[in-house]
Amino acid sequence: MIYEKEKRYIIPFDDVPSPRAKMPEISVDERKGNFTEVETGFPEEMAVQEARRCLSCRRCLGCALCLAECKPEAIDFNIPDQQLELEFDEVIITKGQENAFYPLNPRLGYRKYPDVITDLQFERMLSPTGPLNGLVVSPLDGEIPGRIAIVQGYTRDDDETHLLSSLILGVNQSGIALYKTTDLEVVLISPLCKSFQEQFFSHAEKIPRLQIIEGLPELVEKDSDIREPLLLHYSENGEQKQQTFDLIVILTKSKFSPEQESLGKSLLVQWDQIISMV
Amino acid sequence: MSDKTVLIVGGGLDGVHAALEHADAGARVTLVEKFPTLGAERIPRDRLISPEQAFANPDLEKVRNHNNIQILTYSDIQKINRVDGKIRTQILQHSLLVDNSKCNGCKACIRVCPVNMYNDFDERLDFRTAIDFANPATGKYNIYREDMPVCQATCPVNLDIRGYVGLIADGKYLESLAKIRERLPLPGCIGRICPHPCETACNRQYLDEPISICFLKRFVSDVELNQNIEPVYETPEQKYPEKIAIIGAGPAGLTCAHDLAKMGYEHIKIFEALPVPGGYLWVGIPEYRLPKKLLQREVDLICNMGIDIQYNTRIGKDITFEDLQKEYDAVFIGAGCHTGLKLRIPGEAEYEGIIDCVTFLREQALGNLPEAKGKLIVIGGGSAAIDSARVGWRMGFDEVYILYRRTKKEMPANPWEIDAAEHEGIILQYLAAPLEILGKNGKVTGMKCIKMELGEPDASGRRRPVPIEGSEYIIDAETIVPAISQGTDLSFLSKGHNLKLSRWNTFEIDDKTGATNVPGIFAGGDVVTGPNIAIRAIAGGKRAAVGIHEYLRSK
Repeated sequence: MIYEKEKRYIIPFDDVPSPRAKMPEISVDERKGNFTEVETGFPEEMAVQEARRCLSCRRCLGCALCLAECKPEAIDFNIPDQQLELEFDEVIITKGQENAFYPLNPRLGYRKYPDVITDLQFERMLSPTGPLNGLVVSPLDGEIPGRIAIVQGYTRDDDETHLLSSLILGVNQSGIALYKTTDLEVVLISPLCKSFQEQFFSHAEKIPRLQIIEGLPELVEKDSDIREPLLLHYSENGEQKQQTFDLIVILTKSKFSPEQESLGKSLLVQWDQIISMV
Repeated sequence: MSDKTVLIVGGGLDGVHAALEHADAGARVTLVEKFPTLGAERIPRDRLISPEQAFANPDLEKVRNHNNIQILTYSDIQKINRVDGKIRTQILQHSLLVDNSKCNGCKACIRVCPVNMYNDFDERLDFRTAIDFANPATGKYNIYREDMPVCQATCPVNLDIRGYVGLIADGKYLESLAKIRERLPLPGCIGRICPHPCETACNRQYLDEPISICFLKRFVSDVELNQNIEPVYETPEQKYPEKIAIIGAGPAGLTCAHDLAKMGYEHIKIFEALPVPGGYLWVGIPEYRLPKKLLQREVDLICNMGIDIQYNTRIGKDITFEDLQKEYDAVFIGAGCHTGLKLRIPGEAEYEGIIDCVTFLREQALGNLPEAKGKLIVIGGGSAAIDSARVGWRMGFDEVYILYRRTKKEMPANPWEIDAAEHEGIILQYLAAPLEILGKNGKVTGMKCIKMELGEPDASGRRRPVPIEGSEYIIDAETIVPAISQGTDLSFLSKGHNLKLSRWNTFEIDDKTGATNVPGIFAGGDVVTGPNIAIRAIAGGKRAAVGIHEYLRSK
């Protein structure tokens, strides 16, 4: 199902965190030498309270408010799905729009801090047709950032192909962000690969307000206050360094989604081998 | 122009390029994308660009107007296989529920829609309403309408969780129970023992912790019990004459029988090899997790629908499978997985005192085990291992060990079960594997074990345990219970039965009807899935009931 990639939906803001009910049990002493049921069941009050925690995940259930509002009568809940049976000579599986990526270094704070985002999210942010009409803002507070770091999230020394394409993307994204936002500084931190240094570095170096550091990002942290800027630790020439940023973008390495994988596997016995080579 | 047909999966940048390339070469191209819109507007990753031209992609317009390209957005490939050198597909194109030719783009619908969810098209940077257009430049209006919330979709029997939890919140406990029973005839049992995949999916976990769905089910069934209400499972007036045999009174068989009786079948007979009902629920789940009295009560409710259980009757021994096939119009096989697998180490066949977990739990449940003496070692990391150890501890063994070759993190048992075992004082030895069973005078005296460490990940993605040389040690024990895994016992089938089996010796069935390759014979539960959870067996029983009904009515 689409729109379920992360299985996350909006939680009403007035709902405060409340812990889950804990099942009452008999003590360990009472269990020895007999088979009395260990769990004793929720008392009524506990059950009702627990049931009230349910968010009733509000999704479209056909309330038809939109239908009532639509003047041109374009909305029609009775338009059926189409079932097609098609035959082909060839199949080409591409990564599509699901944008799955390899796991990121958890120490870089993605999904822990709202102002740490992926290059895919940054791309949507920069897009004129994106949710923010191309405005560069921090998802944390909606402020325009003064300093952005674009850092490598997937690093394997031998993966030149990935390094090159992600570095080019990083430079291009920096260019767009700098073009749109005055007074912005961007720092790109990643191991560099040979082909990038030979073909692209001299051009990228000339982009004003962009600094390229050959290094490895290691840890992103914050003071206890989530509104504070992000502190990025990285190594450069074997030296430990740190800088603060308002927004950190992590470069990802894309991969096939599980669904595409199973599609590939069902057609191709050597799928795994082929994928491991790409 | 060639007649070559090409399917391109994925309507992103790569997909659009590939589509154009092949279409220009003369092939007929179908481009399939899950989202309601194509999305080729990307920042290039192969060349440096100037900021103004960043997102321009002339290909998108081209691909949309190309005569050789058919675009299927909002579509899923449901089936794909090779037939005679061709690739045959079944594709479902979801309805947008909006006639975009009439839409004027006024957005009035978006303003009134009460639904708010993360927008995956924008990589969750913002929110969308249920009605939306993915991409303002290219998107069509669409309504994302779902059949059920995520908990219900995850539940193997698709219980209306949101419905029954809501009724509990309103204090309508019996109505809630009735709602559960619409799809599940064993709420008291499942409400106690289910490992609740629904809770793992629950969206509340993103705020704090998931809802305790399973125990709420138990709560309403307890309410009925405490109020001494004797419910009646209704059957319809109109009856069907066909005779149906069910092998095994476990969760799959009981549910299949219940659902068939609810449809109006009145000649249903369950054949059970054991003297008790419930299958693994009775002889595998220990009393302290599921009291037998309670299980018996729910079985009785099902039997009161006019279903007969014939106990102590083993198919293949007391009645042949062929006779069953002849005498009945349809047969459902729900025989479960009641064979414990062997350790295959030296000493296993020599000494008395080795008893696999399935037999151990069953004989304990039936009251046939001798008095507990000395120490007990359980080998394995699944739920059956934990149950065996906790049973042994209650029986009064001096010390109870669980040996597992990986670490706690890799253990297949549920974390709360492991915690309970630790809490009760069971000694869990991780990263340890059995080498040899030691004995004297024909009886087990102990076990030689070896310490392990985790090496490279194996095919399952878990790190493979490797023995540490020279780390052998001995645990004294009088009883050893291997709880490695369980398999099916298909000895009830006659020779030359023609039923299609998998390489795990389970039945191969049709996904939708539960039918085997032999007409009139259906299967479900562990005998199809291999050792699995009760609610999944129940789902298997339900599926077969529908399949049997369709089969008998179209005969």
